[in-house]
Amino acid sequence: MNRTLRIAVAGTVALGTLYALLVAILWVPEIQVNLPQQVALNLEQSGIAHPITAVLLNFRSYDTLLEIAVLLVAVVTGLALRERDALTASTEQARDPMLHALTRRLLPLLLITSVYILWSGSYAPGGAFQAGALVAAAGVIARLAGYDIASRADVLLRLGLALGFILFLTVAVSAMLGGRPFLNYPEGWAGSLIFLIEAVLTFSIGLTLISLFVHAPGDSSPRGGADDD
Amino acid sequence: MTPILLIIPLAFAILTLLLPRHWVRAIIIPGLVLQVGAAVLLCMEIYQHGPQDYALGDWQAPLGISLIADGFSVTLLALTALIAALCAIYAQYFLTRYPREQRYFWPLFWFLLAALNGIWLAGDLFNLYVGLELLGLSAVGMVALTAEKTTLKAALDYLYAALFGSLAYLAGVALLYGAYGTLSIAQLSDMAAANPTTQVALALMTVGLLLKTAIFPLHYWLPPAHGGALAPVSALLSALVVKASFYILALLWLDVGALAVTVTAAQAMGALGAGAIFWGSWQAFQTRQIKMLVAYSTVAQLGYLMLLFPLAIGVSEAAAQLAWQGTILHLLAHAFAKAAMFLAVGTLVLALGHGRINDFGGVSQRNPVALFAFGLSAVSLMGLPPSGGFNAKWLLLQSAIASGQWHWFVVMIIGGLLTAAYVFRVFRVSFLQSAKHEIQDTHPALQLSALALALMAIALGFVSELPLSLMNLTDIAPATMGGTP
Repeated sequence: MNRTLRIAVAGTVALGTLYALLVAILWVPEIQVNLPQQVALNLEQSGIAHPITAVLLNFRSYDTLLEIAVLLVAVVTGLALRERDALTASTEQARDPMLHALTRRLLPLLLITSVYILWSGSYAPGGAFQAGALVAAAGVIARLAGYDIASRADVLLRLGLALGFILFLTVAVSAMLGGRPFLNYPEGWAGSLIFLIEAVLTFSIGLTLISLFVHAPGDSSPRGGADDD
Repeated sequence: MTPILLIIPLAFAILTLLLPRHWVRAIIIPGLVLQVGAAVLLCMEIYQHGPQDYALGDWQAPLGISLIADGFSVTLLALTALIAALCAIYAQYFLTRYPREQRYFWPLFWFLLAALNGIWLAGDLFNLYVGLELLGLSAVGMVALTAEKTTLKAALDYLYAALFGSLAYLAGVALLYGAYGTLSIAQLSDMAAANPTTQVALALMTVGLLLKTAIFPLHYWLPPAHGGALAPVSALLSALVVKASFYILALLWLDVGALAVTVTAAQAMGALGAGAIFWGSWQAFQTRQIKMLVAYSTVAQLGYLMLLFPLAIGVSEAAAQLAWQGTILHLLAHAFAKAAMFLAVGTLVLALGHGRINDFGGVSQRNPVALFAFGLSAVSLMGLPPSGGFNAKWLLLQSAIASGQWHWFVVMIIGGLLTAAYVFRVFRVSFLQSAKHEIQDTHPALQLSALALALMAIALGFVSELPLSLMNLTDIAPATMGGTP
């Protein structure tokens, strides 16, 4: 297909989709179920003061559990495809005084902000995913400045990556040992357990993103690294 | 009981990721036994006590998410556990030649199982999206494992297709949530009416799922991905993974959106299926590589699944029920047969050291068990009696006659002949020609696990009643059949 024809086809499809979406939104039927209201009614029972965190970690925690598994699958695949030897951070950069000074001031700031975002998740927008992204940003900056982080794909790294998921799954399963349904929190403990899970998840999510950065294959095609068991 | 089916694979995914190599080898078999045992127990429980609705975290839908275990989902759970178990036994011996891939194969394998089980049990449209994501990513990871240039390209195409499919599906979910305020499948199937919003949402989701199921003409990513992956991975992908998105498609058309779909649209879906049957078979007939032949055969066989829509929508209750039963049997029979075929072909390629069909001479003498497994699975794919494939096609043909849709009858007959044509290519070479070069011996476990799967495809022809009677225990019966079929 030549270029003009391709653009014409893509344009037609895009316009058609836009038209369909407009029709769908303009003629939307009157809503019959009010979920936000149900969330508000059950918020007190959920142990969390913010509706979004309550939905993510309590009402629909099953979705979140599987999302964490998705992240883990992504990083496992990344590790499987990594370079044989991860590039060790260049010491050249570490000697750059500007970079060094900047990193030393930025890192604590990023980590403190991350803890704040994690903490605020229980009463305001925030939580493990956002805090984890900040941890990852700190890790990437440290890595660029020459600190050696997560460069060995050994069992310790894999444990760190999986730690959040392990804790989440353990809490979820332990409910069944007490005769309650899967993913249920014990009465009165929901708030603190959710915070604990989120704290560990922050660490694991941050480490996941850092590992994807560190172990991403370079320009040459990946050959897959040897394992350090 | 229900969530055990999710906990086992998730726990083993973590264990196989963290434990040292010799431990990983040691726990695979116990894990498989647990998984199959749990699936069988759940089947028996559903058979005795009827469908179950499990509210996760004790939050009732629509606020929370529920797992629905009915006749259909437990049958698929049992199928998944069985096929995965045999593929895993095969993989244990097959992967001894791939020491590096082994480390990451097993976590991805168990995550894939968890995703499949999650999709069969899901009672919530958004949760199905999360399940699809987990399934797609672990499948892509398994395809990419060998990290060769060709498989990486195939994996990347697969990834883009899977991501685009997920996005289109998600857009549809968002529209439905905006229109009805709930994500629970049970509630939506009561509420969803024939209005533009529902129809646009269904159209978006359908396009996404067709892409994920690799239905003609959106099948371009499947042959390189399924044909290029390691043999046990190909078997899992062709037998189970593409069925998951088809399952969601059937759920949307026959249950959630039953009032919004039209007969014309259903006929169009059937036309896609016919296109898949002809194009896939023709490509399978043309290709030089044996694994590509099996992969194109998957494209063709997926076409039969699409015939469910024209055969079950806008027809009499009896015809619709026949179509439904035929499709379910076809899904099961194809899963067994295609897994067997990929494993058998993987063994043959291992023995010969290449996959060129024209140089397959002599395998009938040196590798008779693997070739026999290939032959048995071909019997089921062609729809010859006695086999699960025969019963499935028989029911589908009867349904086409009952609703007077002769054009689909003709499509299925021609499809069967085309299947025979491409399968006999392999036999002609392997029996008529003698070996041109050395053929290595392979581990008997490789041949026997393929044979076991092929025998199951044949045995399904004798015990078709069993899955069909389990199917009757369903809440989510297609609305076209007026409640419980």
